[in-house]
Amino acid sequence: MKVYVVYCHPSDTSFTAAVRDRALAGLRSAHEVRVSDLYADNFRPELSAWERTNHLSPPDAKPEIASYADNLRWCETVVFIYPTWWAGQPAMLKGWIDRVWVAGVAYELPEGANRIRPLLQDIRRLVVITTHGSSKLINCLEGEGGKRIVTRSLRVLCSKTARTKWIALYSIDATSDAKRAAHLDRVDKAMRSLR
Amino acid sequence: MQVVVVLAHPNSDSFSHAIADRASAGLRGAGHEVQVLDLYALGFRAAMSLDDHVAYHGDHPAIDPMVADHGALVLGADALVFVYPTWWSSLPAILKGWLERVMLPGVAFVFNDNGKVRPGLTNVRRIVGISTYGSPRSYVRLINDNGRRTLTRALRLNTGLRTRTSWLGLYAIDSATPTQRSEFLDRVEQKMRSL
Repeated sequence: MKVYVVYCHPSDTSFTAAVRDRALAGLRSAHEVRVSDLYADNFRPELSAWERTNHLSPPDAKPEIASYADNLRWCETVVFIYPTWWAGQPAMLKGWIDRVWVAGVAYELPEGANRIRPLLQDIRRLVVITTHGSSKLINCLEGEGGKRIVTRSLRVLCSKTARTKWIALYSIDATSDAKRAAHLDRVDKAMRSLR
Repeated sequence: MQVVVVLAHPNSDSFSHAIADRASAGLRGAGHEVQVLDLYALGFRAAMSLDDHVAYHGDHPAIDPMVADHGALVLGADALVFVYPTWWSSLPAILKGWLERVMLPGVAFVFNDNGKVRPGLTNVRRIVGISTYGSPRSYVRLINDNGRRTLTRALRLNTGLRTRTSWLGLYAIDSATPTQRSEFLDRVEQKMRSL
């Protein structure tokens, strides 16, 4: 399977970086993989005034997003790896969604239509691997916004039968080394057996 | 009351800017002190940098002077008003990043003697969100309003128990008539006047 990994964490010594390494090890043993590292790319997350005004223009006019758009069109699975902050994706990753999942890449709005049409129909799996500072209970109280952006907002732009997978480590500041190691093993195994 | 209005739209002639103007007019008309933070105009940086991330866990998390200023404003505020367009069912990256970088330990929350997280925003008595949506209200409900949940649940959990939240949304904005838009602005001003 063609798998596109979108990784987002500022620190290369973070637990999320360790998760990325294990995920990539698992994926590369069984799949064709492309990776984007948003911090290493120095990606600009703020959608500009020009981009807002031209949000329905063809993506050819937006060279900064071309390589990401190519990867989205190429892949059958997207794996997001990031820490959950304030109940959602880090601003860096939210900005990547704001700027890359645009008209001509993720959807089209045909002349006269009042609903957008999905364009990423080759994508049949969306996977999130994340960590939470807070417990599962607090996340439920907060409404799990980050999860729903992926399982609902992004999923409707993919294949009609696209499935989502959520691999999370909750209350990370209170977890033991053994639990962290078990999480890494789980990530490796899940990526190896991804279908 | 001291009110901080946080505005997140890249275009200075946007409808969100018109909303912020009318909200401020209503608030000032009722005798409140208003501070507007126009994040794009201020050049606020959305992404938490590696330096920010390292400092986050130290004694002085706010290393950017703008972030420290905004943190002080938040700690002196009785009400927080957020004005933004909903993108991908959530906050624009610049506003998500504002939460990550300004709502730091010592501002939004504190650790008690047992290392448990406790609310830091007990001064904030009101949280108001005013957002525009491309989708109709029914679709926003179906997909989930993750931006709203982030502010009225995740952020709300860091305020006092009696803090109230209110929400004003203009849905399906692309098909809204000039009359509907101007009625919405009137509603915003009226609501802010009676806060």
